[in-house]
Amino acid sequence: MATFIIRRMLSLFLVMFVITVVVFMIFFHTPGIDPTRQIAGRNPSAAAVKEIKHQFGLDRPLPIQYLLMMKKIFITRDLVSYSNQGQRIVPEVVQAAPATLSLAFGAAVIWVVVSILMGLAAAVFKGSLVDPVLMILALIGISMPVFWVGELANLITQSRWHDTFLFHWVPPLGYTPFVQDPGLWFKGLVIPWITLSIAFIGLYARVLRSSLLEVQNEDYVRTARAKGLSERRVLLRHTLRTSMITYVSLFGLDFGALVAGATLLTEVVFGIHGVGYLTYQSIGNLDLPTIMVTVIYGAFFIVLANAFVDIAYAWLDPRIRPA
Amino acid sequence: MEKRFWRGLVAMGAIAAVVIAAGCGGSGGGGSSSGGSSSPSTTAAAHKGGTFTILANSSFGVADPAQNYTLQEWQLLINSHDGLVQFKRVGGTAGTQIVPDLATSIPTPTDGGKTYTFQLHKGIKFSNGQVMKPSDFVTTFERQFTVPGPTSFYSGIVGASACKPSHCDLSKGVVADDSAYTLTIHLTAPDPEFLDKLALPFAYVVPASTSKKLTGNNVPPGTGPYMWKSYNPNKEAVLVRNPYFKVWNPAAQPEGYPDQIVEKYGLQISDEVTQVERGAADEVFDGDVIPADRLNELNSPQYANQVHVNALTADWYFAFNTTTPPFNNQKARQAVNYAADRSAYVKIGGGSALAVPTCQILPPNFPGYKPYCPYTNGSDTTKWHGVDLAKAKQLVKESGTSGAKVVVNSGNDETSKALGEQMVSDLNKIGYKASGQYLADGIQYPYVQNSKNHSKWNIAWSAWYQDYPAPSDFLNVLLGCGSIHPNSDASPNIAAFCDKAIQAKMDQAEKTGVTNPDAANQIWAQVDHEMTDQAPWVDLYNPKQIDFLSKRVGNYQWNPQWYILIDQLWVK
Amino acid sequence: MAEVAALDQVEPASPGGPEVAGRSPWALAGRRLVRNRVAMGGLVLFLLIVVVSFAAPIYADHVAHVNPFENNLNGTTIVNGKKVPLLQQGGGILHLGETPIGPTWDIHHYFLGADQNGRDVASRVLYGGRSSLIVGVGSAVLCCFFATVLALLAGFHGGVVDSVFSRSMDVIWAFPVLLLAICVATVLLNAPNGVGVGPIRVQASSLWLPTLIIAFIFLPYVFRPVRGHVLAVSEKEYVEAAIAQGASGWRLVFSEVLPNVITVVIVLLPLIIATTILTEAALSYLSIGVQPPNASWGSVISDGQGLLYTRPWVAIAPGIMIVLTVLALNVFGDGVRDALDPRAKLRIEG
Repeated sequence: MATFIIRRMLSLFLVMFVITVVVFMIFFHTPGIDPTRQIAGRNPSAAAVKEIKHQFGLDRPLPIQYLLMMKKIFITRDLVSYSNQGQRIVPEVVQAAPATLSLAFGAAVIWVVVSILMGLAAAVFKGSLVDPVLMILALIGISMPVFWVGELANLITQSRWHDTFLFHWVPPLGYTPFVQDPGLWFKGLVIPWITLSIAFIGLYARVLRSSLLEVQNEDYVRTARAKGLSERRVLLRHTLRTSMITYVSLFGLDFGALVAGATLLTEVVFGIHGVGYLTYQSIGNLDLPTIMVTVIYGAFFIVLANAFVDIAYAWLDPRIRPA
Repeated sequence: MEKRFWRGLVAMGAIAAVVIAAGCGGSGGGGSSSGGSSSPSTTAAAHKGGTFTILANSSFGVADPAQNYTLQEWQLLINSHDGLVQFKRVGGTAGTQIVPDLATSIPTPTDGGKTYTFQLHKGIKFSNGQVMKPSDFVTTFERQFTVPGPTSFYSGIVGASACKPSHCDLSKGVVADDSAYTLTIHLTAPDPEFLDKLALPFAYVVPASTSKKLTGNNVPPGTGPYMWKSYNPNKEAVLVRNPYFKVWNPAAQPEGYPDQIVEKYGLQISDEVTQVERGAADEVFDGDVIPADRLNELNSPQYANQVHVNALTADWYFAFNTTTPPFNNQKARQAVNYAADRSAYVKIGGGSALAVPTCQILPPNFPGYKPYCPYTNGSDTTKWHGVDLAKAKQLVKESGTSGAKVVVNSGNDETSKALGEQMVSDLNKIGYKASGQYLADGIQYPYVQNSKNHSKWNIAWSAWYQDYPAPSDFLNVLLGCGSIHPNSDASPNIAAFCDKAIQAKMDQAEKTGVTNPDAANQIWAQVDHEMTDQAPWVDLYNPKQIDFLSKRVGNYQWNPQWYILIDQLWVK
Repeated sequence: MAEVAALDQVEPASPGGPEVAGRSPWALAGRRLVRNRVAMGGLVLFLLIVVVSFAAPIYADHVAHVNPFENNLNGTTIVNGKKVPLLQQGGGILHLGETPIGPTWDIHHYFLGADQNGRDVASRVLYGGRSSLIVGVGSAVLCCFFATVLALLAGFHGGVVDSVFSRSMDVIWAFPVLLLAICVATVLLNAPNGVGVGPIRVQASSLWLPTLIIAFIFLPYVFRPVRGHVLAVSEKEYVEAAIAQGASGWRLVFSEVLPNVITVVIVLLPLIIATTILTEAALSYLSIGVQPPNASWGSVISDGQGLLYTRPWVAIAPGIMIVLTVLALNVFGDGVRDALDPRAKLRIEG
């Protein structure tokens, strides 16, 4: 088990390294993009350009530049943005993380609770009208692009029905840190949470329902029934637990992806300045240092989530442990 | 300056102070009040206090005044820092006048116009308590060269040509006498626009102890009525009162009304509008890019006193690539000018209330401006009336460029993309095969300046806002032979247009301007018309600025250089 | 497949009795699929959307008489018998802004209204469907094809080949999906003379760019399950039997491995298409997917953003189309999965 964990960690680092190299190559080696120009500001003199190139190490060979950047990110932590050389990136990302985390956590709570209820209900009431209705709702949820749902949500809550009792409490778009104003933090996140969770609710309700139905036919469940246990106990104590294995592993991957910045579209639509938003902005500005840091942040969480899920799976189900 | 950094305006020099000002350009709503409102000391005292909150979509980047070239920061820097001279801090045309600030008076240059000797006020303190001395200016000017940023404004100072980011010694060009409290600046050649340049925030004094390197997002102390408490580009900037400030020249640097100025970043523009409508904030900074569906709301009578529209001395245009076919041919360029449907471009720009079609280079209310639009149907060539497709097609035929492939380069934000698409349409109408190329804004501007990319595009969108109200700021900077820097991302003459005869006229106008600004403006007017005939551009329109303020804001003044005068606003 | 055949047993053969109507597993699966009304409904809906979208030129030229790709800011149209300008100046005292007309609900005249450039929204939504479907289906097909080839190679050869491919797929997998797409798209789009490999140049406005980018980022989603299946199938008895019979190399792959693995791909395909359509919409919404003059559902939603409060239909209509298309594909995909492997779990995890 221990070697398995160590091997996963090693492969994590390897993957991260490759990702950073790939990102570096994508943005540094591209024609038409000259980082010197970004740093030098407007209308610099030729001498200034030359000096800046040297100062930032932009006249060194690419591998050296890569190493310099890595050093600035991890060791000295003083990497500055190309768009704004007064801005240190690592603190900037750290400052943006709470917004993304708030968004991801809140949405996760909603989607886990609702999807479990939906999936359970659909499985329990299979055969009646409840099942197909819930499943159609779930399918519709998966089929809606999150940014479109967000736009519609804004249309309704900010404009059309803003003045009604339903939505008058919705604050203007944007994120308020919890420490600054918990009430506003909450109010400003409710609609984004719901928007983000819709697609996941649909997906996970289906996953759970399908797992439950599959497990229903397993031998040990039939044994439990034969022993005279009520359907409800069978459901909650036996089938649900087993079904949750798939559910939990998928959840780990998706939640990891959200924390990593897959909240990007939601953040852009709702004006929440989290890591996803920062990533998107920096890519638009071709601000390589910021892109690099946000990509590292994101990839780290995804790879971590992957590794964690693999380890949890192996721990839960000894059959799956690799040789 | 180009659109992205349009926030830089230099004072019109006293020499070039003849402004053909048909009006202040204010219209609608509260309009622009000229000459400032009457504020006897009783009214003034009653309105002092409060916090003025500005909402902006993005921050202005790095805060070091030696590098920052954005109006966004300049509107704040004029309140925290002072220069040798300044624009009069009032609205209307009077606000284009240069008045002395830290200097006691405006000197007449000696030595053939190459030497300016300023007598400085004594006893003025920085916000950290230090006393301002003339030698502080030496550091200020040297920082212009040691910190990356625009240097061309001050490259006329003796010793500047030898300056590099690692080392700059201007002791010969900027001579400070701390005992006599004088500052003498030596130029290599007379410059009629030098006083304008001194009124730019680049030249506002900072303590001599300020680092010669970029100070990043820390703004060095200044001598103005406000000081920078904090600046976080992801959150907000906060300015509070400078405890050491005492008024010495109210025309240049009056006491401000708000106790605090806060600028918040990161909101979407639609939300800025919503917040100001609800009174949760006081100003929408991005008034020029309010989305169409919110603009309509501002027409409502309930906001009548909160919306101010003012004409800007700026051009939105397409520059031809005059180095390659088909637009190295003048007839082809003129053809496109006849075919460009300026009314459609105006609609993209927000309608006729927000954009005024133009054919010529200089904007209205500018020195040297005489209305001229040859590229119109009908016989009235003072303004644009409509397209003349027949003439356009004929010129295309005569030029022999029909059927040529044309690449239209533009930005990828909503407005510039739409303008690009319209140009593609217009070109196709007269027989070219046009296609569009849309680059991210941060890339598009340097890209079209660099001659290495000349083979890739034929016509490119751009925008220019005045740096200072001198005709050379448009004609020479954007279309002069000296503004072509090959293989550089900083070559403002995007069209790479160079006509020796017209250049000679421009040089002559510059020279004449040293002694006779009126005569110079006559020559500039001719240059403008001749340049328009040569058609290095398709000039589209001159935009207007919307200032949307909350209900409680009073004493709105529009200064042609700094636009909305923030420190003069009443929030109580 | 063995299980499929076992589950759908036909009447047992009796000696001398009537001919047993044997059916191949594919036919059985096909029959099961066709009997699934809901899934067929999904398929029909999807095909309907495809037909309508590809009929866009007919609609634009002959029914609405517009060119949806050219600006028409000064144009007019007929509403209730009266000629109205497409863009109307703001009212009040200031007359700020220009607002396009809203939906006329007249199929011949700007059914869904105009956008800020005076273009017919309904035509653009239809043409947008064309682009979105081409990119969505094209990228899904390319992705499945290449991922299958790579998975076959990796699973079959094992060793170094497998390691290299699997690790590469891990790297792509580890990239936050949208992020990778945004990075690559931004860079490629801002290489303004198009991207090229040797003599092949792809212009930024071509649909190939988003197609290839999206196909690329979803490779691991197909590669992993297929490879897993290849490995599983390689150990089955019938493969061993074939090898014992002397089959080897590519013949083996094609005759034994591929047919058993292809079901995985077939089940995945509709779901991948659904995902690629959503991804393309997201990229186009962020302005780095389909470029002008081409329109796509995502880019029309993006156009509608600036008009959201006054002309919401510009953003609503393409969104509805996306929802219907993706829903249809999901429903059909469920049916395919049920038909081919009724006992499969919902998601085939990698």
